Amino acid sequence: MRKILVVRDLVVGFDHEPLLEDLSFTVNRGEVFAILGGSGCGKTTVLRHLVGLEQPLAGSVHIAGRGAPAEALQPPAFGVLFQSGALFGSLTLLQNVALPLQQWTTLPADAVLAVAQARLELVGLGAFADHMPAAVSGGMKKRAGIARALALDSPLLFLDEPSAGLDPVTAAELDELIMTLSSSLGVTVVMVSHELASISKVVDTCIMLDRDAGGIIARGDPRELADKATDPRVHAFFHRQARPR
Amino acid sequence: MAETEFSFVVDGAVGAARRIRLAGRLSLAEGQALWQRLQQQLRQGGDLVVDLDAVHRLDGGIAALLVATRNSAVAAGASVEFVGAHPEVAQLLALYTPARGEHPPLAAAGVLARIGGAVAGVLQQARGTLEFAGDFVLSLGGALARPRSVNFGAVATLLERAGADGLPIVVVINFLIGVILGLQGAIQLHRFGGDPFLANLVGLSVVRELGPLMTAILVAGRSGAAYAAELGTMTVSEEIDALRTLGQEPLRFLVFPRLLALVVAVPLLTVLADVVGCIGGLFISVSYLELPPITYLQMLQKAVRLTDVMTGLGKSGAFALLIGMVACQRGLATRDGAEGVGRSTTNAVVVVLFGLVALDAAFTWVFSLLRW
Repeated sequence: MRKILVVRDLVVGFDHEPLLEDLSFTVNRGEVFAILGGSGCGKTTVLRHLVGLEQPLAGSVHIAGRGAPAEALQPPAFGVLFQSGALFGSLTLLQNVALPLQQWTTLPADAVLAVAQARLELVGLGAFADHMPAAVSGGMKKRAGIARALALDSPLLFLDEPSAGLDPVTAAELDELIMTLSSSLGVTVVMVSHELASISKVVDTCIMLDRDAGGIIARGDPRELADKATDPRVHAFFHRQARPR
Repeated sequence: MAETEFSFVVDGAVGAARRIRLAGRLSLAEGQALWQRLQQQLRQGGDLVVDLDAVHRLDGGIAALLVATRNSAVAAGASVEFVGAHPEVAQLLALYTPARGEHPPLAAAGVLARIGGAVAGVLQQARGTLEFAGDFVLSLGGALARPRSVNFGAVATLLERAGADGLPIVVVINFLIGVILGLQGAIQLHRFGGDPFLANLVGLSVVRELGPLMTAILVAGRSGAAYAAELGTMTVSEEIDALRTLGQEPLRFLVFPRLLALVVAVPLLTVLADVVGCIGGLFISVSYLELPPITYLQMLQKAVRLTDVMTGLGKSGAFALLIGMVACQRGLATRDGAEGVGRSTTNAVVVVLFGLVALDAAFTWVFSLLRW
């Protein structure tokens, strides 16, 4: 099956008030897919619906053929990186990454630590395994969050603004990591972002949301959208222009 | 290529090394079996050649385990060589091979190191508390010079939270304390025909000791813990830093209003605690000893002097300062995120409870020397 994420007629909102409607899109295996849009347009809200943290007002989300939200008592079919990293503050980076392995595999303790350490090495944090989250930078927290999301070899990763708030070098390193995950590990990445540099570098396909329009206003290759989009809102987004009035 | 079952076969030798043939699709589900068999082979000693020709799919976790096995063998003076890997499998193994050397997880700190760390932590806390007290005194001067820098606007709300909201629990607990004290005292006094003196026992115990102490303990549990958690959360979310950059001194803006609210609320609650504690004694006097209420009230009036009431209220003022100072100091000293907030809150309550009992003992001892 080529499609790993299928979203049909999704309506998201709060307190029965729709925020975005008729969201339909699919993500193919191995693709880096982005949900774009300006601040406050509902990107993170859509992501939370995709991973089952919020109940949609209507429509459906299927991940690897399985309806979301994934219920407890079965290994999650995807990994999630939250905006802040959302590492558990009382655990070291190594323990954070080891947690899902202890929960969902039968690996002995030394093998769990070996795998968790290898995940941290993969994201360049091998030397910080025994550090507490509070003792590392924002970029390192995000990388550790990716290592934790990868722990169970999930074929699908959801990343919420992975490079937001990072310096250009750290952001570029994170972009490299996302491309490595996609090309070498075959991981499908669905990311929320409004970082133009990252989008043009790593994203294969995207959709663009607009709160005023109440849904998707563009979809396709972000580089093509940047060059050829006729919609003034899309053009303004890709060319860092003020919102058209 | 069709997927086959995972298999692990020790199959002859390549030179001096034993050859292991792996086959099938290797995911974390096979991790336990693979790891245990590889460890078994390592324990036998000697070099290993792992043939991956029949492995058609490998997950990252398994690549990590294979690389960890190779690193363990190298550390033990042996070698593990991977041969026959398909390009994607080889790429994955390369990806999990650290470019700058492996960083094995550090061993846990020893018992002595942990004891030393705990002692150093206590000393650091004590130093922090003293520094806070010093800063507070200095800041007091600034507050008197610039009263507008103190956030008096928050005092009314804080007073309501510490005082009015805590009123029901203070009333109930102190009434029950009066009842318990009255009942225990009545049983003993009745044996010696001293029934009317129950008012002396309950009145003095409640007004001088238990009323102020129990009220302070309740306020410490409610407001002290809340202050530590609130200021701790503000610290870890950089709100305190933001306050400083806005030219506001956290001590004046956050700590003074809280202390002021406690210094007003705790003595007022103590007055109420004294009254309901004595009513608890009256309840026992009437119901258990069957004395007329007027007897209890007359004895109470004779036994409890204004000095006793003021002594208790003086203590409660000191208790309020202790609760506010320790809770705010612990909150502002919070580090390490959500866990740190929990630690600060627990620490504040424990230190305040210990401090209240110690301070009460000191007051009682001094007052007995002064015959107050």
